[in-house]
Amino acid sequence: MSLYPSFARPTSLAQASELLAGLSTGTVIIAGGQELMPHINQGFLQPDVYVDVGGLKELKGIAEVDSRIAIGALTVHRELQSDLLVRAQLPLLAESVSRAGGGRQVHNRGTIGGNIVAMHPLYDVVPALLALQAEVEIIRDGQLRCVALADLIRDTSHGLGSEAILVRVLVAPIPAGTGWAYRKLKLSGGAYGSANAAALATVDAGRISALRLVIGAVADRHIDASAELAFCIGQTWSDDLGEQVEARCASMVKQPLSDQQGSGEWRQAMAGVVARRTLAAALAQAE
Amino acid sequence: MTGHQLENPDKYVGQSVRTLEGRAPIVGAARYTNDFNFLDQLHAVIVRSTHASARIRSIDVSGALKVAGVVRVLDGREVAEHLAPITHYIDPAVFGGKSAEVRCVAVDDVWCYGQPVAVVVATDRKIARHAASRIQVSYDAVEPVLEIADAIKPGARVVVPGWDNNIMMQAPFKNGDPDGAFERAAHVVKTVVDIHRFSTQPIETRCYNAVWEHDTESVTLYATAQNPHPLRHVLSQVLGMPENKIRVHAPVIGGAFGMKMHGHPEEALMCLLAKLTGLPVKWTETREECLLIGAREQRHEVELALDSEGTVLALRDRYFANVGAPSACPGWGMAFLTGLTMPGPYKVRDIDVQMNVVITNKPSWNAARGYGKESTAIALELALDEAARQLGFDPVELRLRNFIPATAFPYPGPTGLVYDSGDYAGAVRKACDAIDYAGWKAKQAEGPRDGKYIGIGVAYELTPEGGALPGTMVAGYDSSSVRVAPDGSVRVLTGVTTPGTGNPTGIAQIVADELGVPLSSIEVTQGDTTTCPYGFGNYSGRSTIVGGGSAALAAREVRAKVMKVAAGLLGVDEAAVALDRGVFSLKSAPSRTLAFKDVCYAAYTRAYDVADCITLPLEATATFKPPSIRHSPDANGRINPYPSYSNAAYVAICEVDIETGKTELLKFAVAHDCGRVINPVLVEGQACGAISFGVGGSMFEAINFDASGRQLTRSFVDYVMPRSEDMPEVRMVHHDSPNPDTYMGLKGAGEAGVGGSAAAVVNAINNALMPIGASLNALPLSAPRVWEAIQTARKSNQAKLRAA
Repeated sequence: MSLYPSFARPTSLAQASELLAGLSTGTVIIAGGQELMPHINQGFLQPDVYVDVGGLKELKGIAEVDSRIAIGALTVHRELQSDLLVRAQLPLLAESVSRAGGGRQVHNRGTIGGNIVAMHPLYDVVPALLALQAEVEIIRDGQLRCVALADLIRDTSHGLGSEAILVRVLVAPIPAGTGWAYRKLKLSGGAYGSANAAALATVDAGRISALRLVIGAVADRHIDASAELAFCIGQTWSDDLGEQVEARCASMVKQPLSDQQGSGEWRQAMAGVVARRTLAAALAQAE
Repeated sequence: MTGHQLENPDKYVGQSVRTLEGRAPIVGAARYTNDFNFLDQLHAVIVRSTHASARIRSIDVSGALKVAGVVRVLDGREVAEHLAPITHYIDPAVFGGKSAEVRCVAVDDVWCYGQPVAVVVATDRKIARHAASRIQVSYDAVEPVLEIADAIKPGARVVVPGWDNNIMMQAPFKNGDPDGAFERAAHVVKTVVDIHRFSTQPIETRCYNAVWEHDTESVTLYATAQNPHPLRHVLSQVLGMPENKIRVHAPVIGGAFGMKMHGHPEEALMCLLAKLTGLPVKWTETREECLLIGAREQRHEVELALDSEGTVLALRDRYFANVGAPSACPGWGMAFLTGLTMPGPYKVRDIDVQMNVVITNKPSWNAARGYGKESTAIALELALDEAARQLGFDPVELRLRNFIPATAFPYPGPTGLVYDSGDYAGAVRKACDAIDYAGWKAKQAEGPRDGKYIGIGVAYELTPEGGALPGTMVAGYDSSSVRVAPDGSVRVLTGVTTPGTGNPTGIAQIVADELGVPLSSIEVTQGDTTTCPYGFGNYSGRSTIVGGGSAALAAREVRAKVMKVAAGLLGVDEAAVALDRGVFSLKSAPSRTLAFKDVCYAAYTRAYDVADCITLPLEATATFKPPSIRHSPDANGRINPYPSYSNAAYVAICEVDIETGKTELLKFAVAHDCGRVINPVLVEGQACGAISFGVGGSMFEAINFDASGRQLTRSFVDYVMPRSEDMPEVRMVHHDSPNPDTYMGLKGAGEAGVGGSAAAVVNAINNALMPIGASLNALPLSAPRVWEAIQTARKSNQAKLRAA
């Protein structure tokens, strides 16, 4: 920690990676600053070195690459909400990002990379990306590699934020005919979410043919309920099936978060309610 | 919002003119206390107790002193060598309670989480913060007393050394024969109402910057202070300096709501540090520190005696206020006002209300908008709805049956208050019409849709304002000066101040009309003890009543002077001259005019001819002292400390999602009586602000602690106030009864609304839950708590079914 920190603004990804490899603990990577600055302002964090990745063009832009959408880590929430490619190919992502808290100023600065790296269980973007089975590119010690987002955020040892840089997020477009939905329950306009869920589903001749469902904001880690809900495949959606989905999803929450925004018992129940509503909405949309 | 009918379009009073002082904050040009910086400015950071209750074993400041840039470090013992205990804003001993010695920095013992234990001064705030983290305080923790039940049980540990128990003050508000009425009542309904700890959170937190004036050996304190002159008096007592060696300057304030009334440790502490270092020392409160200031936590055990028709025959209420640790701030007085305001707008005369102010190891209260009167409304209105539910009355009908009739004013209430005016039944009918009460009832009768239940809630709030407590600096009167310069421009200096609500504009409107000049020629100066007349600042919805009233009287005096000079210049009798918007004219020949500025110049420069008939300069100072305040006790020992009784009816429409417990407010209506309205847009702004306070307090905002008394609510992540998306459309109608005892019929408009709107929301939610058999009289009615109540009701319903 230092009262007089250093500030570096590398101009290429290679340069940034090289710089990080040579720095010790006490380094932070800063982009939009929406996660980092409140911690610093409140005195929780006093970094020695700030590495500002805001100038790295390799981290910018949204493009179609090899039939996937590649989203630069510096892409801000506002761009994700309004980008035509994202809205057309990944409407679930656009919707979930638009539900992020903080208002327009935060949406204009907060990046998708920062949102992922924060690994905050209450944030909005990751459930949609997990439902979409996104992959991410990261660079460490000059080595660029691509991993599944689900594998990356299994624990906090990824080094993102101080040793490694998140470069791009890669997502396959949602196929035509697939229903999608994002639902978020929060106590009030200014509160963090108390339960959220992202769902994708397809229907074949009135019966559920495929589904993905990820629940967030109820436990330390996101809960991918897709496998647990495999029993729904081949069934027709009904109130009875909805109740089963609700009960299964609630029971997947082993250690619910319990904070000033709601007790664990309520959180666990809400995981079920929100999951059921989200899946129902996605199915209603599927052709 | 609705348009307001203009009484007289030629006058400024009654018009929604834009605030004179409103532009600067919007364009970022306002200078708040924290914007003042001086040469060699130092910054202070306070080390606070991490325990709710502990003995301080040792404080090691050596680590902090080693940090480059640190100028001074003081612990409680050293501070106590220089500073006397803080003078109480309202000393409980004056009212028969117990007075505790409150030090700026804890000496030997700490009695709440967050209490100051040391202070660091450095050349930079970050350095001070870093140095503060290197101070090692060693504590012997003591089991804290946190809840009311723990504090009042026999054998409870006593929080304040030397006291016999934890009750700081007990007071009865009793009248008539309540016991007899309960005996003959057809129904008795008991309701326990728990109001949780919530506060007010101004955008601008507190800030004090003390400057030592070497030339005069005096101190200037730039302060977020609602009451500069009374604060100066407290500083003189604590610092041991005469008042004429202290200047308090309160610049633009970004919200106060009572929190910036004084008695805070940091006020005198910064003055001391400036004196010791000879340099300016500033302290700016963090949001975490701001959240330490509590308010409102009360438990009411209400009993209503009713006859078979629904007339309330008697009221009993034993209530307990958890005011936390002792403080010199006026927060505890809120509890007293809760009892004094009983039984609100209702005509019941047989009452037995008992106040218990309980000291615990939670952080202290300070005043919060509503000042206890919001709790009266919450307790009464929830109890009335409980009675309506249990006995099958319509909530509106039950209230209409029990209101004080409009013909009964001035009405002597059973606690000593004398209500000036009002038409409570009329206001409720207006509010119900404004929201289409009947239409919503019909919609509700159609039943829930998609698990969403409609609820309708009604509540009333009576808000005595402009209060005066004998023997304290809570004064009922105030003073203003009106000064007209030789160029005809006007400066009004007032003893009242503004927390950012716009009263300077209201006062300027009044002065412009009284003086006969354009509004644009008036400047209003407030908040400086060296320039303004002695005054008591802002609290209790008083600033326009007494600030505007006194400015009007002063303006009349000055007008009389300029009229004489104008008559002399025109060579006619005064009665023949008219003055309007800065132009004098002859009534008989309106084309013969004189400019106001020319008359003023003549007054100043022709003192030996046309102005020989007046006393120069063109200035006057006047005081407005509401005549209806009575401090000489009546036969029952009761006083009337309030001249003004604002009141309003609130109706809330909500929809509760019973799967999640979450409530959405659909509509809100208020019929508001604040007497004569000076500026409708300012009044409506105040009302909407108060409603959002009530909405936040009833559903979202809460200050929570862990079992060891450490405060958990430390930022806006957890203290979540409503945003615009949480607020329903508010339909406001004015239902004004002019106050016969104030200038132009004014009543306070700043304080009312928190309790009435909170109670309307709670009543609406409980109304929605009626088909499920759930109800909740413990605030806040947040989604998780409503959900729990629904689960409990369902389990009990199932048990009943099984038993049947």
